[in-house]
Amino acid sequence: MAPKLQPRVDGDLGSLLDSAAFLHQIVDALGSPLNVVLPDQLARNVQGFRDVYQARHLGGGIFFAHKANRSRALIRALAATEAGIDVASLAELQHALGAGFGLDRIMATGPKSREFLWLAARAGVIVNADSTTELTELAGIVAAYRLPRVRLMARLSGFASTGTNVMTRASRFGVPAARLATLWETLEKHQDQVEFLGVAYHLDTVGLPEKAVALEGCLHAMDEAQQRGLRPRAIDIGGGFGVSYLDDGRQWEAWTSELTGAVLGKRPPITWNGHGYGLRNEGGTVRGTLSVYPAHRTTSGPAYLDRLLGTESAAQRRALGTLLLDSLYDLHVEPGRALLDQCGAVLMRVEDVRDDLVRVAGNSADVALEQHGVLMDPVLVPRGAPAGSEPAGVYLAGNLCLEADLLTRRQVYLPARPRPGDLLVFVNTAGYLMDFSAGNALMQPTARTVAARRDRGGWRWCLDDQYWPVTGREETG
Amino acid sequence: MRYDSVTDVIGGTPLVRIDAAVHGLRNIDLFAKMELFNPFGSVKDRAAWNMVRHRLAGAAERAETVVELSSGNTAKALAVIAGMHGLPFRSVTNRMRVPEIKDLLLLLGAQIDELPGQSECLDPTDTDDPLTRMYHTVSAAGGGYLHTDQYFNDLNVEAHVRGTGPEIIADLDGRAPDYFIACVGTAGSSTGVARVLREHDPEVTVVGLVAEKADFIPGIRDIDEVHEVGLFDPDVYDTIEAVSSDEAIDGLLTLVRRCGTLAGPTGGGAYQGAVRYLRRLDAGLTGRRTAVFIVCDRVESYMSYLRERRPALFQQPDRTHSVRTLTAEDLAATRTIGVSDAQEWIAKENPLVVDLRSPFAYRALHIDRSINIVDDLFAEMLHGGLPFGRRQPVLLVCPVGEKSASYAALLTRMGHPDVRSLAGGVIAWRDAGAELVRD
Repeated sequence: MAPKLQPRVDGDLGSLLDSAAFLHQIVDALGSPLNVVLPDQLARNVQGFRDVYQARHLGGGIFFAHKANRSRALIRALAATEAGIDVASLAELQHALGAGFGLDRIMATGPKSREFLWLAARAGVIVNADSTTELTELAGIVAAYRLPRVRLMARLSGFASTGTNVMTRASRFGVPAARLATLWETLEKHQDQVEFLGVAYHLDTVGLPEKAVALEGCLHAMDEAQQRGLRPRAIDIGGGFGVSYLDDGRQWEAWTSELTGAVLGKRPPITWNGHGYGLRNEGGTVRGTLSVYPAHRTTSGPAYLDRLLGTESAAQRRALGTLLLDSLYDLHVEPGRALLDQCGAVLMRVEDVRDDLVRVAGNSADVALEQHGVLMDPVLVPRGAPAGSEPAGVYLAGNLCLEADLLTRRQVYLPARPRPGDLLVFVNTAGYLMDFSAGNALMQPTARTVAARRDRGGWRWCLDDQYWPVTGREETG
Repeated sequence: MRYDSVTDVIGGTPLVRIDAAVHGLRNIDLFAKMELFNPFGSVKDRAAWNMVRHRLAGAAERAETVVELSSGNTAKALAVIAGMHGLPFRSVTNRMRVPEIKDLLLLLGAQIDELPGQSECLDPTDTDDPLTRMYHTVSAAGGGYLHTDQYFNDLNVEAHVRGTGPEIIADLDGRAPDYFIACVGTAGSSTGVARVLREHDPEVTVVGLVAEKADFIPGIRDIDEVHEVGLFDPDVYDTIEAVSSDEAIDGLLTLVRRCGTLAGPTGGGAYQGAVRYLRRLDAGLTGRRTAVFIVCDRVESYMSYLRERRPALFQQPDRTHSVRTLTAEDLAATRTIGVSDAQEWIAKENPLVVDLRSPFAYRALHIDRSINIVDDLFAEMLHGGLPFGRRQPVLLVCPVGEKSASYAALLTRMGHPDVRSLAGGVIAWRDAGAELVRD
């Protein structure tokens, strides 16, 4: 049987799983698949990041990367905290404005359409410019409509390292750090239209050394800006702090070892059609790289931020966090996945069980484990008494009439063979795995989303759209 | 002994008995093959030299760069050898985890390329990883590289088939040991030595040691990573066991403190793994047996590795004049001063303003006429006593007024009558709209 990959479950999410009757009730009412989000947890996660700032005496904003989840409830709950929001499309900006975020708490990032730039400038949110061309276009809009100066961060990329050559994947985004002179000229030229706040980077990597190089590169860019007479005061280091999905690192180690064994033909496959997740067998030697999310991480989320800030600058021989503080700079971060840790789950009803194939009412776009390479077992919530105590290794097929529609190509481990009507709960899926790519292929229903919160030992829920942070009990509280 | 080239000194290392009082085995003689005596410091000198010796002349003609995927001893040996022959050396690695080795390679003139980490937002369809791409680049013929390819190159194994293996047999008076224990990195030394020993005596037991998963011992692969090694053949080993970094350090400490053998963590792991394995057999033995393990390299390059894992080994007693020894009363006695009072005080009494931030930040913006002594340096200076006269008033500043407060407390305790700390630090100064300059 396939080895287990049991998900890490904390706090409210844990007690949600213990409430089997409640879960069955909402799926019966609203259908499968069903997304559940836990807005209260998001506020606790914001505090986790803020604690890192406070320990290092740093100021600056924690901007939630909206793209990780579309839920209204989560955004409205976030608006009730001190956190900001990073929006990467026109609709996300409208969403954030409508949820009540103040203008200092909204950062427009990513490549932007003209309409997106217009609304950002008109509303007066912070714009994180992706290129000098975009900066020029923004300045043109501000000038043409006589808008107030827009506060601006400039995204950089392609930082040079000292000592060793720290390689990084080429990025499509940002102003090359080697061509800063053009950026300064553009900023000087448009100083009546934009107020320069500082520089930014966002690297798509789990690698800490690359991020340390980028942060150091930003410090140097800020120094260059100061020399040009600009007065920037913040550095935005983007996101990518990560989540540890699994409870037990040994399970991850065992599973990856078994996969290596299966690829080499030393044990029966533990994946659909012997899929290697990037590994392949060449003459008895394993080649390739395991192309999945590192599901168990010893350092993730706020701890990862703290580690980055504690990393010594190669040139200054001083911790990067201390250099930021010394320089009086604010630090902005844009976590997505990490802020949504333990903030939600996707529920699916079991439709059919044949041998080792379990078909559920939902598909691989509804819970994007495979698309994002996140490997973990779902949690079985039986409808009545459990079917038995004999564990089962099964494959999970979706509701699309396609051979390829598997929720995960891994054989998952369940404590008992499921029966039709049981629920499979894909926990900790709020970050990127919930609705990032959900559609309605074959006219299958897309999941509804409900917001749930603990209330006097039980659970209260409402449709995502109905959620607002006010409970109606404020006067008595 | 006289040699024409330092590469002639490679190999011919001694086999040294480990005192039974140290290892405690009653029926087994345990010997260390002292590969740390190789001229560049490790067992990898043999493989490095054997992989390039016949190709150097051609590479020099074609002005090629020697390249290897290594972050340790192979890179070190190749960097030295390439330098001796006027060739550049480039090391490509995704695991440059020992800072001393990194510095040493840079000192030797190597170029180090560190591969990017995994994507945070993964694209699972992109299975063409940077390492594979790099491998194709450096392996292409006519690409300007002499790629030594240590994980797949049979010359790596051959170095030990011709050198290390026969040397062990010769030093044991023509007998193979009953047990041979080696850590598995490229699998070159263990495979080569095992082949020679088995040919001599098929009864020899070969034990391969790998690192525990999610642990790190420099130069050893874990149980999954060994499968990525072309030279690795599981049939070479009678058994494969895992050692932890903790055990490797225990072994290292035994070797350096009790055996006069300045071994690094890999040698320590081999010793500890060997003793652990042999102890299980020892009691049941009736006759005498012999065992050999390899001491791969030296301890000096692993100070930060050891400090990270066993800080207690390096603990220094606290010095008297240190902020770490401040009491609550010391801190309570600190004089702090707000921004506007500080401005007035500066105008009236002209105190020495000491900015404790980094030179980098000081250069960008600071309080006019302040001097910059970064806190680390200031701490060092204070160990020796007061760095300014008692009649000179002093204002200490730092970003938020926390560090400056503790240094002010320390100076007060050391007897300075008028040292104050800027409340809220330079950030409060800036936020109050007071002037900051850039000289």
